[in-house]
Formats: sequence, C-alpha cells, structure tokens
Amino acid sequence: MTDAGRKDAPENAPSLEERLKRLEEIVRSLEAADLDMDAALGLFEEGVEHVRGAEATLRVAELKVEELLGPEEDSNLRPLEEAPE
Amino acid sequence: MTEPRVWSVTQVNRAVRAMLEDTVESLWVSGEVANWTRARSGHCYFSLKDEQAQLRCVMFKAAAASLPADPEEGTTVRALGGLTLYEARGEYQLVVRRLEAEGAEGLWRQAFERLRAKLEVEGLLAPERKRALPRFPEAVGVVTSLVGAALADILTVIRRRAPWTRVIVRGARVQGEGAGEEVAEAIQALGGSGLVEVLIVARGGGSLEDLWAFNEEVVARAIVACPVPVISAVGHEVDVTISDLVADVRAPTPSAGAETAVKDGEGLGEALEISRTRMSGALRAIASRRREVLGLHRSQLRQSGVGLVRPRRELVDRVGDRMEAAMRGLATLKRARLSEVAGKMDVLSPLATLRRGYALPQDAEGRILRTVGAFAEGDHFALRVSDGTVPCEVQGGS
Repeated sequence: MTDAGRKDAPENAPSLEERLKRLEEIVRSLEAADLDMDAALGLFEEGVEHVRGAEATLRVAELKVEELLGPEEDSNLRPLEEAPE
Repeated sequence: MTEPRVWSVTQVNRAVRAMLEDTVESLWVSGEVANWTRARSGHCYFSLKDEQAQLRCVMFKAAAASLPADPEEGTTVRALGGLTLYEARGEYQLVVRRLEAEGAEGLWRQAFERLRAKLEVEGLLAPERKRALPRFPEAVGVVTSLVGAALADILTVIRRRAPWTRVIVRGARVQGEGAGEEVAEAIQALGGSGLVEVLIVARGGGSLEDLWAFNEEVVARAIVACPVPVISAVGHEVDVTISDLVADVRAPTPSAGAETAVKDGEGLGEALEISRTRMSGALRAIASRRREVLGLHRSQLRQSGVGLVRPRRELVDRVGDRMEAAMRGLATLKRARLSEVAGKMDVLSPLATLRRGYALPQDAEGRILRTVGAFAEGDHFALRVSDGTVPCEVQGGS
C-alpha cells in the first residue's frame, strides 16, 4: 500500500516563487476553512515541505553568474569571469 | 604694358579657400537653424541665420552622428566649426564639428522631449502598462557593459541579498555610436531567452550624451516588447531617461536596480517562519475543534459499551492528545531558529506518529475509520503502521 494522496517530490522541484505562492494558499486554507483533520494534516505537511524547500534554496550561498552569448557561439551560456575590482 | 595675370576660376576659389582656412581660426557661431537636410550620404546641410544674414553650413556624417536627432527648424543653436570655401560652387561655408542648443545639452533635451511625447501618445508610458515584478526571481537578467562598474555593483548587491539567484548577463556597449542598437538587441536576446524572470537594464552615471543610448527609440521599443518585466537602472538619481519611462520599474542607480530585483534573504526567512507559525496555529485550532467532537464520541461509546473498539477509540484519542500537545509546544517556539523549528515539524507528521508505534485503520479507499459505526462484523480494513499496512478483519463484535 502506498501513501495515497501524499505527493512525492516532483522531478522538477517547484521554484521559490511557486513554493511561496503555494505556501500562502495553504496558510490561507488552513486558517479560513474548517477542514477535515486529514485534509488539514495533508496541507500542513505540504506546507512544511515547501518551507523546507524554500529554506534549502535560501541556503545556496554562491552566486551563479553566466553570460548569454550571441547566436554565432557554440554554447549559449558560459560562466562569466568577473573583472577584479 | 604687360598682360594682366589671368586667373582660372579654380585658381581663384582655391586661393580664397586657402586664405579662409589659413587665416580664420575655429569659431563658435550662434544663430537659428534653417533648411536642415540630412542627405542620404549622412552629411547634413543647413543655414544659420539671424535677422540680417545667413551662413551656409555643413555637418559631415561623422560629426552629425553624434547628434541625438536633427534639430528643429528655427532652433537657436551655436555651432563650432571652421570656415572654408566649397570650390565647386564658390560658396563659402562653415564646416560644423559640434552643434549645441540652449546650453550644452539643449539638442538632447529637445530630442528627449520629442520622443517622450511620441511614446506618450502611443500610450507606452501609461502607469497601467507597468507589470509587477516577480517577487522572488531565481534567475535575473542583466543588460549592461561587461566592463563597467554597473555590473560589479549589481552583482555585489545580489550576492549580498540573494546569493541563490542565477544571474545571466548579456554584454552590450552602453555608450557611443551604435550603442542603442546593441542595448536593444541584448534586451531582445536575453528578455526573450526564457532564461530569466526579470531584466535589469543598467549603466552607470554620465552626461546626458553618455546616457544617450537609453534615450533612443530602438531601446524604448525593445523594453516595451520585452516579455519579462524590465527594471531600468541608468545613471544617477537625477538622470531620467526614456528607458526609465517605458520600463516597468525605474531604479535610480544600478545598485538600486538590483535591490529592486531581489528581495532580502533575511526578510524571506522571516516570511517563511511566519507561514510556519500560522500553519501550526491553524492546525492546532482545527485539532482542538476535532477534540471536542472526539469527546462527544467518547461519551457515546461509553454508553454503548462496545469492547472491541475500545483500543481504536483510545488510539484516536491519544493521537489527538499528542497532536494537540505538540501544537502547544510549537507555539512557544515562534522565536526559535527556522532550522530548529523544521525538526520539530517532523514530530507532527502522521508518518512520524506512526513511527512511534501508533496505527491508523483505513478502509479500501484509504479513508480513516474513526468511529464504531465504521466497523461492521466481517469488514476488511487495513491497519496502517510506520512501514506499510496490515490487512485486518472485524470479528466478534456485539
């Protein structure tokens, strides 16, 4: 038997924006509706998952800087070497 | 008597030309512009005039390229140039190297106002056109010079506030002839790449002339057509460019542009914490409402005195108690660090509850069986435990 109704992590993790948006919806639903305990727990778990996911994103500490090259280049993106100040 | 010396026309014009060019130094001449024409070659021909007189002028392509736009008829200007003679016609003229109106930046202001009015008529400056920025972009595009301080400033800000961000830069010359086209092309390429959620178009401070690319129509049109919102971050606070006017957001400097693009991570952490607190508060409220219902069931059960379901009833009861206790504990954790709170959250999950040795009876559809009425003699149900389910059958009821 599987955990019916619980979402496994999708292959494409939601973006920070999506997570925060969903989180807002969840908070609102939990606060507004008199939900069934199962539904409430389901939402709560999903919410906690989004909080964790967002926190994981926020923990990334190194800025990734790339340069978009013109169409004549082979590879479209390359890491940008920053000029020393 | 000797024959008088006879000059050819060419000789005369050449001599006069040499005289003019050699004896009259460069000079500034002020007057009103008349009959301005820009030839296909790119050279511009016009006259300067006052009440009594006119002076033929030419501005060759290279010099004319530095003009923001052709001056309007009657504009009072001053021209710097040298006198010469156009031998083919025998007309003398001023070869203008520099043309200014109403102070050094007059022509630029004039061109600026003209383009502004044009875009305004098209409705492109209307406030309702402004798009909202993504609140938490993961990918930010930057169009600017790869060697300028503007880029360094932007990266410094994003690194400080939101280092998880992916920054994609498209380099463009931001000054000089053709800069407008390059900037417009970069906006088009990066904005349309699908890689970024918001675009910063940036340049450090400079004279109106230095910033001119950002007052060109081609750049304005590229910003208007950009599929993602554009932040214009050009010059210093006092400089307003056409880019600023058509962009979705105007930032006074490149650093401010970066601050507009990415929220502070600190604030975001707080927002997450607040969500978490609100969720657990709401869950607690729901749980306590359920407790009341459970209390009702308990008294009913006591009256019916059914032995079989007693363990089940206690289970439900205890899960409810634990839940509420956990929630109460949670409320006191509001000010705890997020990561600590995250750990506690696990405790509240039904799965974690199962791991501690509790079990949940479920019917074939996965519904939780929570009352006596849900169990009938001979019914099959599943008991969900931490690592799976156990098939069960109801036996020997009342």
